[in-house]
Amino acid sequence: MTTRMTTMRWATAFGATMVLALAGCSGGDDGGSSSDDPIVVGISLPLTGDFSEPGKGVQRGYQAWAKIVNDKGGLLGRQVELKILDDQSNADRVVSDYEQLIGQDQVDIVVGPFSTRLVVPAARVAEEYGMLFVEPAGAAKEVFEQGFKNLFYAAPAVADDHYNHLAEYILGLPAGQRPATAAYAAMDDPFAQGTAYGLKKKLEEGGVRTVVDEVYPPNTTDFSGIAAKIASSKADIVVGGSQYQDGVNLIVALQQLDYQPKLAAFSTAPTSPEFAAAIGNKTEGILAPTGYTQKAPYPSNVEFVEKYTAQFGSPPEEDEANAYTTGQVVAAAVTAVGCAEQGECQQKLVDWVRNNTVETVVGPLSWDATGKPQGAHMIQQWVGGEIQIVLPADAKETDIVYPKPAW
Amino acid sequence: MSSGALIFQSVVLGVLLGGLYALLASGLTLYFGIMRVVMIAHSAFLILAAYLAWWSHTRLGVDPLLSLVVTVPLFFGAGVLLQRLLLSRLRPATLTMMSVLLTFAIAVVIEGLLGYAFTGTQRRIQLGYGAANLELFGARIAVVKLIAFGLAAVALLTLYLLLKKTTFGWSLRATIQHRDAARLVGIDTDRVAGYGFGIGLATAAVGGTALALDTTIYPSLHWHWIGPLMAIIVVGGLGSVPGAAAAAMLLGLTQSLLQIPLNTTWAQTIFYLALFATLAFRPQGFFGGRLAQRF
Repeated sequence: MTTRMTTMRWATAFGATMVLALAGCSGGDDGGSSSDDPIVVGISLPLTGDFSEPGKGVQRGYQAWAKIVNDKGGLLGRQVELKILDDQSNADRVVSDYEQLIGQDQVDIVVGPFSTRLVVPAARVAEEYGMLFVEPAGAAKEVFEQGFKNLFYAAPAVADDHYNHLAEYILGLPAGQRPATAAYAAMDDPFAQGTAYGLKKKLEEGGVRTVVDEVYPPNTTDFSGIAAKIASSKADIVVGGSQYQDGVNLIVALQQLDYQPKLAAFSTAPTSPEFAAAIGNKTEGILAPTGYTQKAPYPSNVEFVEKYTAQFGSPPEEDEANAYTTGQVVAAAVTAVGCAEQGECQQKLVDWVRNNTVETVVGPLSWDATGKPQGAHMIQQWVGGEIQIVLPADAKETDIVYPKPAW
Repeated sequence: MSSGALIFQSVVLGVLLGGLYALLASGLTLYFGIMRVVMIAHSAFLILAAYLAWWSHTRLGVDPLLSLVVTVPLFFGAGVLLQRLLLSRLRPATLTMMSVLLTFAIAVVIEGLLGYAFTGTQRRIQLGYGAANLELFGARIAVVKLIAFGLAAVALLTLYLLLKKTTFGWSLRATIQHRDAARLVGIDTDRVAGYGFGIGLATAAVGGTALALDTTIYPSLHWHWIGPLMAIIVVGGLGSVPGAAAAAMLLGLTQSLLQIPLNTTWAQTIFYLALFATLAFRPQGFFGGRLAQRF
């Protein structure tokens, strides 16, 4: 078995080398790429299968980026052309897609697919070919534990860092006001749990005692037991590592038990457009981290929201914004380095991204050696019946309300 | 320590949960009693009723409880047709086995149609009184849970009176106890079985509506319910409605109390532990006679 695998790998490697060598021979006059050749950006996306919904969102984000760049005259005077393959949400397929894009189609740039499960195998291919690999999804920590040197995650923060601004705020409160106890409930899911546990770790280090720590399976529909535990602990603050419906259910269950914490933070759910109606408008004071909001004041975001809405008829959501951000990072690198093709250029692009900060629709981004972004998510709060940015101070729309009013 | 209060709160939640389980399991045990049919699709019909309640609330603006006026007769009719047209055609020798396959197929069809009509998105009825609650000796009782419990109690009481006090109930119980003997005394067992099936499915309509009041629903949710419900009717004694009710109450309460020391995932295993213990030590069930001798 092992020998067979090895043989296959050698065969693949040999094949790839041959393709590269042939391409190298034929492409002798290619090096100077005339200025009207388009810059081809290769992408494999889950346009069908399990991830087709977010996959199509990511596709729209890339399309919006290409259009906005081209309307301004392209990159380095060359038009940007997207070459998108459908990986059918399949991790095996994604590998052959990137092999094809890089080896056969000779794209100039590759950018990432959607979801952690597909980002890791795709990044491995890009790494083998020494290509810069900026990706719009894959926030789980596993992505950054693979030793990739060319990968950069184009979003403000990985799951564990989503609540960093909030942790800083809580621990910065004067001793008398600072919460003493906290209750955590998180879905058994690396992303949702990562957000809650990231905050838990920081608060525990800061002396906030954990009194409830519950993990529930993704299919849980009855939250009354968990809510009873949290309510009877009378924890000062409650933190939910939630997706959408579980967050709604948990909040309703807590309200049914008349539990009134000083602070309530839930990931994802409160930022959804249906959230307020789902919990009967009892939203006052609920906090949530958000990676992207159409209201973020960064200059390129204003342009993005306006032009995206004109192109697609509705404003962009987080998936679209993440893809657009990916495009922005690539564009910044290409413009600064002055090249966009396979070969030596790629290493220059990687080095540039590693050492620079890029202004994007989600704010300034920079990365550590593993490609993990160095930022944190903005914190939004339901104040006066609408969700508004409250942290960090330089992006806030209104002041954070603490302790929160009764819900 | 507030743990006394937590235990009392959990007991209250457990009783409310147990009441719902009792209603949901009663139909399931009835089918088995009447026809020795294992009705895998029972929980799928439950979710279907929940969706109908959600749909009538969201699209038509009617209170979910009012949807019962339509769903109960509708499900009764569907149950009669299901029994007469499909299940009664199965060969008696392989009835139990084949009914699993047949109703499994029905469950998958319902799930698929729900997914097609309403997508896989999780839904929840948004009621004005969704978070309203009453206080009882320090414990909080959500109004919606109380309504669900009330529905379950009324439905079970009706079922009990129907089976105990009416001629139809007697003939149904006679059919459950001894089909041939029932036929000998002149009971049209085929017709009775059809109506019995209809009643079983009508309980699913009530149960589904009660369920929809306070939980999230999605098309594949029924797989999550069928396991615990099957465990309840085996523990209670297959075919025995009071047995199912007692087992449901006991297991609901245990599950709720186990959530205090354990987490949600482990608390659910009580159903399977109870199922295992029943099959190993008392296969006829702890509360009912062997294959519903009583009731």
